Amino acid sequence: MSATEGVTITKTGERGAFGGELLTVNFGPHHPSTHGVLRLIVDLDGEQIRRVKPVIGYLHTGIEKQMEALRWQQGVVVTDRHDYLSPPINNLAYALAVERLLGVEVPPRAQALRVIMCELTRLSSHLVWMGTSGLELGAMSMLMYCFRERDTILDMNEEISGFRMHTSYIRPGGVMADATERFLEMLDTFCHEMPGHIDEYEALLTMNPIWRARTIGIGRLSPEDAKVLGATGPMIRGSGIPWDLRKTMPYSGYENYDFEVATSDDCDCYGRYLVRIKEMREAVKILRQALDKLPDGPVNIDDRKILPPPREELETSMEAVIHHFKLFTEGYSVPPGDVYVAVESGRGENGCYIVSDGTHKPRRVKFRSASFVNLQALERMALNHMIADMIAIIGTADTVLGDVDR
Amino acid sequence: MIADELVADRGVSAGDQWITVPAERVRDALAALKADGYRLLVFLTCVDHLASPTPASPDLPAGRGGASGEWPARYELVYQLRNLETREQLRVRAFVDGDPPRIDSAWDIFPPANWDERETYDLFGIVFNEHPDLTRILMPDDWVGHPLRRDYPVGGEPVDFSEEHEKWQTAPEKA
Repeated sequence: MSATEGVTITKTGERGAFGGELLTVNFGPHHPSTHGVLRLIVDLDGEQIRRVKPVIGYLHTGIEKQMEALRWQQGVVVTDRHDYLSPPINNLAYALAVERLLGVEVPPRAQALRVIMCELTRLSSHLVWMGTSGLELGAMSMLMYCFRERDTILDMNEEISGFRMHTSYIRPGGVMADATERFLEMLDTFCHEMPGHIDEYEALLTMNPIWRARTIGIGRLSPEDAKVLGATGPMIRGSGIPWDLRKTMPYSGYENYDFEVATSDDCDCYGRYLVRIKEMREAVKILRQALDKLPDGPVNIDDRKILPPPREELETSMEAVIHHFKLFTEGYSVPPGDVYVAVESGRGENGCYIVSDGTHKPRRVKFRSASFVNLQALERMALNHMIADMIAIIGTADTVLGDVDR
Repeated sequence: MIADELVADRGVSAGDQWITVPAERVRDALAALKADGYRLLVFLTCVDHLASPTPASPDLPAGRGGASGEWPARYELVYQLRNLETREQLRVRAFVDGDPPRIDSAWDIFPPANWDERETYDLFGIVFNEHPDLTRILMPDDWVGHPLRRDYPVGGEPVDFSEEHEKWQTAPEKA
């Protein structure tokens, strides 16, 4: 947050290109189009943007500090909550990092279930993006259509994990529970119906003259700028660079799935929209493959020092009781060292850097969030556009403020 | 290629390559690595090693919890670099001490470092020399203290209108 608290409209005294003075205007933090609480201090020349200074921190909840006070298995619950639109993907980054330090690998069925959850999350995250961005740019009905399908996904979350949003489903050592029959049926129906729904969204937006007028040529980010500013996810793919961690640095068995990396050479807001539409189609393709090839077997590693024994064993085995007691009173310790694992979320590279000092709590957990880095490109994209286009630019950057402020 | 005198130590941790560079030469090292093809700074952060137990483990080199390992300094700056063509990653470490701890800014070598350095200043109190706008980014401007330091207590924020207001207030007094 900044020292210029309380700015509403101030004259800067500088002369603009149109002969008038530059005006400093405060935008947010409670403006509904900022997707949370983002505040921008914008210098305007007439209606044109000359400078943008994002002010963040309104949603800072000290997640990295909390992680240091929690045991390894408890931290999962906190990871759900920084990028609150894609909890399983955050879980996955954390779980993969802890597993790398422990030197374990989860069984194939757990890997496939992780991929299923991550792709469902990517879809639901893109649906929220499309619904709200459509709403902001005048396509009011988008929100209804998108939230209808998102609700199906939340129902599936509830079926598999018991929670609709903050699932904590993916954990170090495996997943919380095996998929139920009903979940697999729901997923099958969803994979059948979703491509038709995506066609519906496209019918509403892709050739919509208002949507095109508001997004084409707006918020240009050249491929060079995208690389230099460290943009990831649909931001860099919307600028024509096929960088997708699922392809370029595969994790959790993504190399076994056949899908394309969505890119667009438009480099503008419309290009980023096309990338997300394509990504949704590819996500359904991955879901279908994962469902058809879903391997049998356990969904957790067989290591009683890391995961608690099954309930039935507790009644017959003294050793199981001891393991259970140790795990829930003290937790497990992780060998000293540090590791960085990056996964592709709906917004870009979502990374987790963990330092362990060999005790039962992490020494340091750093979340490398895509939104935080992508937001730095905002000024480059917004320069010399009208103030009204700011809405489209913030929208297609798709920052989640919980992810920015952590 | 990065010159040998810039690399104080190197190794592998859980499959990740890393090197340690002298803190006063960190800009030279980062510029050399950028010329080598590591063109993306994935993130920059800090680790506080205050009273860190360094369990003996013969597999790890000194300073990484190794057998002979004392930490060279309290704060460890971590730069994660990536080569987008070869997809190699490299972690660069630099150790700093002092009050406040100081290190040169890398924002003009890697533009994404701008906000990362502000965050590290905000949460750890590391001062980045020559940074264009080194202000707090996540905490309010009038905040006292740097929350991610290990000697800063968890739950250090007073809760207004709480019966236990006095008891809960563990943050340092405002100046």
